[in-house]
Amino acid sequence: MLTTVVGHYPKIPNRPRPARLRAAIARFERGEITSDELARIQDEVTLEVIQEQVEAGIDIITDGQIRWEDDQTYIARRLTGFAINGLVRYMDTNTYFRQPVVEGEVRWQEPILVDDYRFAAQHSPRPVKAILTGPYTLAVLSKDYYYRRKDTLVMALAQALAQEAKALAEAGAPIVQLNEPMILIHPQDWELFAQAIATVVQGLPCETALYTWFGSIEQVYPKMLQLPVTTLGIDLISKPINWQIIGEHPFPEEKKLAAGIVDGRNTRLEAVEEIVAAVRHLSRICPPDRLYLNPSCGLEYLPREVAQAKLHRLAEGVQEAKKLLGED
Amino acid sequence: MALTTSAVGSYPKPEPLVRARAAYAQGKTSKEELWELEKEATTFWIRAQEEIGLDVLVHGEMERGDMVAYFAELMPQSMRIGGLVRSYGNRYYHKPIIVDKLRWPGPMTVEMWKYAQSLTSHPVKGMLTGPYTMVEWSFDEYYPSRREAVMDMARVLRQEVEALVAAGCRYIQIDEPAIHTRPEEDLELAIEAFRLVVEGVDAIFHTHICYGEVEKIYPQILRLPVRQIHLAFKNTDYQYLQLIQQYPWDPDKELGVGVVDVHIRRIESAEEVAQGIRKILSLLPPEQVWILPDCGLKTRTVDEAKGKLQAMVEGVQMVKRELGLR
Repeated sequence: MLTTVVGHYPKIPNRPRPARLRAAIARFERGEITSDELARIQDEVTLEVIQEQVEAGIDIITDGQIRWEDDQTYIARRLTGFAINGLVRYMDTNTYFRQPVVEGEVRWQEPILVDDYRFAAQHSPRPVKAILTGPYTLAVLSKDYYYRRKDTLVMALAQALAQEAKALAEAGAPIVQLNEPMILIHPQDWELFAQAIATVVQGLPCETALYTWFGSIEQVYPKMLQLPVTTLGIDLISKPINWQIIGEHPFPEEKKLAAGIVDGRNTRLEAVEEIVAAVRHLSRICPPDRLYLNPSCGLEYLPREVAQAKLHRLAEGVQEAKKLLGED
Repeated sequence: MALTTSAVGSYPKPEPLVRARAAYAQGKTSKEELWELEKEATTFWIRAQEEIGLDVLVHGEMERGDMVAYFAELMPQSMRIGGLVRSYGNRYYHKPIIVDKLRWPGPMTVEMWKYAQSLTSHPVKGMLTGPYTMVEWSFDEYYPSRREAVMDMARVLRQEVEALVAAGCRYIQIDEPAIHTRPEEDLELAIEAFRLVVEGVDAIFHTHICYGEVEKIYPQILRLPVRQIHLAFKNTDYQYLQLIQQYPWDPDKELGVGVVDVHIRRIESAEEVAQGIRKILSLLPPEQVWILPDCGLKTRTVDEAKGKLQAMVEGVQMVKRELGLR
């Protein structure tokens, strides 16, 4: 039974700690510092957030996606065929991203996240997982003026991201995680989605994970369990009905369950007892040695200090549950 | 009246007020000194709107920073201001937190409205943020469900509305820019809450909805219990007209039309404004149409904001002349 995170981590702390990255980006935009100097600050902030996750007691961390403007453009910008357009709302949040626009053939040219992974892995005492926005989500959150067919675009992205996933695995990533929240919004695309996921993970020598959030899994469960990935990430906070749905079907022996049990979108701090109760309930659905416990989504929707407190609480609750379940 | 002109809410703050707000945040100036500067800046904008020739004025929101945090700060028993959360790019905001039952703390907007109205014979709109947006743009540590929080927020705003009306306010604009966040799940809730705020109150209600997928909530938003719905037409190059072509506008409601883009520095020409109005008039009679900027102008400079209002009023005059209207 391990604790982990879903993806991003708040980029700036609150007073009295200085918002260094915010200041550095503002200075970079005014032409006062170079991109190298900005990159150095991003590295330093990455080290800080690695440290914070480790101190909180999280077993498998991420680099916090500190360099990412959002989940889409950081990847789209570095593939061929994309331009970046105006702001649109991200799902049902009050967060906005610049929409990628497909204007030409989408191809992978060179590693996108490998340097970031290596940097984080070198500086982390805990395993770092590599996070990749999945081909389906990236496709449906983009505007497509080139292929003009969803299936063609999704599969082109799957081919491109398969190369990135391979590069990350070769660089030593113990887990490559695909984030695919949008399939819960468009469950009718399941066959295309499953084909795309199979394409990305085929032949990967490492553990793989597929995470979803902000939606009911009603339309995609239990068929989700047949995807060729090691771990399935399910948000049990935003739609409590997901508890019921995962309880209705046996969880396959070869799979791991990553359960989002701490709210990544609200500041209310969960009590240790709530976390213990959630873990005990989960252990009846999936054996503890195949359970990951994490927040319901990335943590950037919260102020930094709240995110940190939530991770501490998660780790504390899971420790407590381990004792009660006789795991320790 | 035909093609009545008005504005959406906020104007840019003059430099001395910006400095005083920063000083106040650091405890370096008093509430009284800040209030004097806020009144001065409000006077400036009331005069500017009169000179430019607007019909129905706004007070300019010189006392407000953020449209949600302003109210949250005035309800310290129910809400507090949280840490910074990123909105996009390098933009962050202090997201408020609901920490206890939402209760009306007494009038939050009445004193400033009275002051602004005392300066002019034109009507000045009362300005509130709607219950759904207030809750959606806050964290909630108190209520077990969004519905309960939104309905209690509606009860708070109802009391504010009644206080404004008791003070003599006739036009009240209640903004709901978050109304299209979860159209399928929450639109009914947002409309129900809005009804609780306004129903049976003797005043004229307007709402402003901006920058989102209006196509997902049209024509359902016509059920909002308001006299006028205002949409940002200019920013979307009048694409909303297609929606109105497909499903006609409610004959009992006015359409507020945003004719200048608040997010670009360039000042539209009067002819550009007139062209937009002519498009609208192909679908609706001029008596049913109000002309406004797309949104609050607070992100523009004082000169840009005045320039855009001037272009708007001149564009309206051009069209009125063509139609032989006064």
